[in-house]
Amino acid sequence: MNSTSEFVTSEFVTGNVSLADVLPQMILMPLIAFVSGLLMILMYRKIAARLQRRVGPPFFQPVYDIVKLYGKKTQISHGLIHDIGIVVAVGGYVAAVILLPIPGMDGIADKGGIITLSYVLMVPSLGLALGVGQCANPNGSIGISRALTAMLAYDIPFIIVVFGVATHYQSTSLVGMINYQQTHQWGIFEMPLLAAAGLFTLQGMMGKHPFEIYVAPAEIATGPMVEMSGKYMGGLFVMQSFQFYVASVLYASLFLGGGSNWFEFLLKIFFVVEIPIFISFLFPRYRTEDMVRIMWKWPVMIALIGIAFVM
Amino acid sequence: MTVLDDLLLFTALASVAIIALRRFASISKFSVVVYALATVLLIKMSALGYGGEPVYSSFTVNVLGQILQWRFDALSWFFALITLVSALLAAFFMSGAWGEKYCKEHSKEAYGLLQVALILNVLSMLVLLASGDLLSLFIGWELVSWASFMMMALNPDKLARKAAIKYIVYAMAGAMAFLMAIAMTYNMTGSLDYVQVMQGMAHLSNSQIALLVSLYVMGFGIKMGVIPFHLWQAAAYAETPGAGAVFMGAISARMGLYALLVVIVQIIGLTRVAAIEIPYTFLDMQNVLAWVGALTTIIPTYIALKQNDARHLLAWHGVGQGGYMLLGVMISDSIGTAGGIMHVFNHATYQAALFMTVTAVIYRTGTSNFSKLGGLVTQMPLTFMVMVVSIIGLAGIPPMNGFVSKWLIYRALLLDGQPLLFVAAVIGTLGTILSVYKLVHNTFLGQLRLEHQEVREAPLSMLIPMLGLAIIIFATGVMPGVVLDWVAAAQIAVGIAPVEHNLGGIELVQGGLDMIWVTGIMFYGFAVGAIIFYVLGGKSKHIHQYDNYAGGHFLTSKVRYHYSNHFYAGLMHMIGGWYRNVFIKLEHALVSLVSFMSQFSENFYRSSQPVMLVAVVVVLALYFVLGSSGGAEVSAGVSLGGFNQ
Amino acid sequence: MSKLGNIPVNAQDGKKRTNPLAGVFDELVQFCQSRSMFMLHYCTGCGAIELPPAMTSRFDMERLGIQPMVTPRQADILLVTGYVSVKTLKRVILTYEQMQSPKYVIGICSCTVNGGMYWQSYATAKVLNEYLPVDVYIAGCMPRPEAVIEGMRRLMRNIEDGKGNAWKDYFQRYDYYLGNQQHLFGNDWQTPTDIIGEARHYGLESEETYGEHTKILEQHQQPLEPYKMRIKL
Repeated sequence: MNSTSEFVTSEFVTGNVSLADVLPQMILMPLIAFVSGLLMILMYRKIAARLQRRVGPPFFQPVYDIVKLYGKKTQISHGLIHDIGIVVAVGGYVAAVILLPIPGMDGIADKGGIITLSYVLMVPSLGLALGVGQCANPNGSIGISRALTAMLAYDIPFIIVVFGVATHYQSTSLVGMINYQQTHQWGIFEMPLLAAAGLFTLQGMMGKHPFEIYVAPAEIATGPMVEMSGKYMGGLFVMQSFQFYVASVLYASLFLGGGSNWFEFLLKIFFVVEIPIFISFLFPRYRTEDMVRIMWKWPVMIALIGIAFVM
Repeated sequence: MTVLDDLLLFTALASVAIIALRRFASISKFSVVVYALATVLLIKMSALGYGGEPVYSSFTVNVLGQILQWRFDALSWFFALITLVSALLAAFFMSGAWGEKYCKEHSKEAYGLLQVALILNVLSMLVLLASGDLLSLFIGWELVSWASFMMMALNPDKLARKAAIKYIVYAMAGAMAFLMAIAMTYNMTGSLDYVQVMQGMAHLSNSQIALLVSLYVMGFGIKMGVIPFHLWQAAAYAETPGAGAVFMGAISARMGLYALLVVIVQIIGLTRVAAIEIPYTFLDMQNVLAWVGALTTIIPTYIALKQNDARHLLAWHGVGQGGYMLLGVMISDSIGTAGGIMHVFNHATYQAALFMTVTAVIYRTGTSNFSKLGGLVTQMPLTFMVMVVSIIGLAGIPPMNGFVSKWLIYRALLLDGQPLLFVAAVIGTLGTILSVYKLVHNTFLGQLRLEHQEVREAPLSMLIPMLGLAIIIFATGVMPGVVLDWVAAAQIAVGIAPVEHNLGGIELVQGGLDMIWVTGIMFYGFAVGAIIFYVLGGKSKHIHQYDNYAGGHFLTSKVRYHYSNHFYAGLMHMIGGWYRNVFIKLEHALVSLVSFMSQFSENFYRSSQPVMLVAVVVVLALYFVLGSSGGAEVSAGVSLGGFNQ
Repeated sequence: MSKLGNIPVNAQDGKKRTNPLAGVFDELVQFCQSRSMFMLHYCTGCGAIELPPAMTSRFDMERLGIQPMVTPRQADILLVTGYVSVKTLKRVILTYEQMQSPKYVIGICSCTVNGGMYWQSYATAKVLNEYLPVDVYIAGCMPRPEAVIEGMRRLMRNIEDGKGNAWKDYFQRYDYYLGNQQHLFGNDWQTPTDIIGEARHYGLESEETYGEHTKILEQHQQPLEPYKMRIKL
């Protein structure tokens, strides 16, 4: 066992958080997440375009899309659960980003820690799944069944990585992990195997190629989004930007030492999200069972070896 | 007369009264009052839940020089609270419309028997929980087994009868193992009293402890349904009549965990268990038990994923969640055990609620088969809401209570440095998420069937206990400290350091959990989401389910447009081949072996060789008389000949 | 024939906007609508072959904010890319009705304008805008990608100027469109979508929404009220 435990323990003591301290962060953190997420989506589309030798969308395209979707004059609802599903899908991510520390703001990160965060991240998926279920469209249900299978596929290596990281830092607190990395060394240098496995699962977590079987447009009509129009679709666009942000910040906090200042932080998260994007446009799509197979084989193996090193 | 006397006496008298009154229509109301009064008596002992002194019964029996006594400590109180509250809610649940329908479908007699079975179950469980020594524990154990059998055998369905018979065979096997273990304990320590046995255990060798632990765990494990004894439970509980299944699913199998906590954790002690190395492996006995728990979470959960009937799916999850409890207890630090014990409470709440929702669906539609349901959310919104709250609890997602206990188990595994067990626990959780979505989707979401268009919400008598449970699930999720108080007291009772907690959860230097904050932030997030959705977005129109995208196809009621068959097709392509029915084959093999042996012995008796038989009997008799001269030592009314030397 | 380009546009939307910023806000939304168009290409006939080059590297529609979408729920533009047989037209109409307003129809190829080379066919609907309000026609057999993009830009300009309101016409003169549809498909024609209910719900109806044809529809229409979530014990 390494000697990091003492450090993390002394550095990080759970303090009493008062609501007044957290309130500005509760407003700012989701906003930052949303804006960075939009930029990531723009980057995603721009990189895709450049790889295909196209010009790509203009700078404000993600904003145009979302404003247009929320500005729709008519939109359909299949019932209350359909509506609530979208509310929970967006709201769950708003809550999740407050559990993710960023430079200068810890939110309520010390009240939950990484285990809580990874389970809070399932709330939006569950909300969306319920909402899609009420649409009474089998394409949507198939999409959800595939999405949950995909979650099963990438969460197992992810949870091994989380275990390894938490064991290494002897803490489940993201704040403690970041503090340790900023004074010592980045996690990626101390746990390169876990970092590699984490990057692999990141690809699955973002739900992009080659692991986007559950939205397969031509096959199941974009799966969960099949009956989404107007603000429903807009909610999913908002959710997607949060999804990009959460995945990249989580990775940066676990392995790249978070960020001591904003410039460094943004540089890191955009760098992190760039890697899966580049990979995604180079590969065709995996079938569900192939995704499960590859996720349970390579990243699990690498992560288990990585754990053996940190134990 | 102590309060415990009052409680036991009251329940016993109530059982007699219910047996006598079982044909009267007022039996439903009467039984609700009985359980409510019993709960009040239990609450009188609530000092136990906060570290009070054990309450002894003034009634003792002297058998063969052993004093049989009954007492309640914090652990018994915790389990008894769950038992009585589940019984109260189950009785309330069946007191109204459900009971009437049951009377109509079966008979008044059958309904009366269900009430009798319920009160007998409660009585026997209280007797078990109150046991103050190993012999009274065994008496309680047997009573519980037969009471459960009575409950299961009420369903005249062939499948149900078969499941009940299977149960009683398993239960008897378990009881035999338990009895043998008790006899050996008596032999080795000279007493059956907990305290004296505990002292006696210190002198035993590791191999003796290993033998005892194996036998006890086999006995208790069969009741808990741990691997490889998991085959009986799901079918037996699922086929029990609705309200009975609510009670059975909530608490019945947990009696095994109670006995395990008392015997393995309290009396033998996990340090002794951990000291037993398994030869040729890196494992010790405690690891093995933890792995049994972990496998019990995984295998039954993935069997649940394949079920096509809501009741069976839930019952299999009940087996799987038992694995978490065993795993939590076997981590043996204060956080892990707290998680394991707390999970008993959490599991009881959501499992009872889930069985109630499924029973309500059966009450309204007549089926729990996934291929015949769908889209009921518009017809039964409150039932749906309860189911969603409970499945969030079952899946262990914040902010419901199931998350807290699972968090404690994960946290303990992390602190303990058990990566593989941790991964196993998470695999179980992920499988649970998949299968609960299948449950809620195939019953309540998707397209509403034509024949269900007139289905109405469940009647009030069924809704009230469901909603009450949903509130408990949420409230104890937000404020787990309420339950953790009791859990901490129970931990002290079994001799483990109590978990340090506050109202919101756990404060740990290396990352704690505060559910009040987490829930607060989640609801803040939902509020933001609602503002984005309702304020920024425009008006929307609620449309008919046939106005749906089908690639330009015109949907009508003639073509069903719904996905419920083979729900996780992609996953099953991958893991479908892993379901090899290994345990079923093992069970068949054992059955064949036993029937072969019985045939053999039968033939032996039937063979017309009387001289031979007489000769054998005489030889054996001579051996007993001459060989074991210390015949007076044959004690406890059990033939222990072989172990006396 | 439809009075294309002569659609009575109710700019006030039926309600008074007192907020001085409302105008700015509306313009912003219109601008975004023109810059973000999700298209559903209903690939009938041969014109569809011109769309892949228009979308991919050579002409790259995405730089104009146009991208393909899969289901009518998500889409803003319905591209009808060629001749429309009677059978296809039913699906085109259903698809159009399932799209969410503001929605636009672009008829590509001459066949959608006047039947083109299928003028004499008994099984082909000749003039698309008799059945659906078409915003822009792109004539040609087939139009090249440049022409397609030019047509898109025309639509963008229209939306930006607040002139892309053909979708309102479908609600406001539903009786007319329904009449043409019934003429072609028979009196028992009905889609699972509830256009009249929608018009009523969003306040988009006018006198011409109802008429003799909607009466025929009402006579045999299967009820389309959604299942209300109700707590009936």
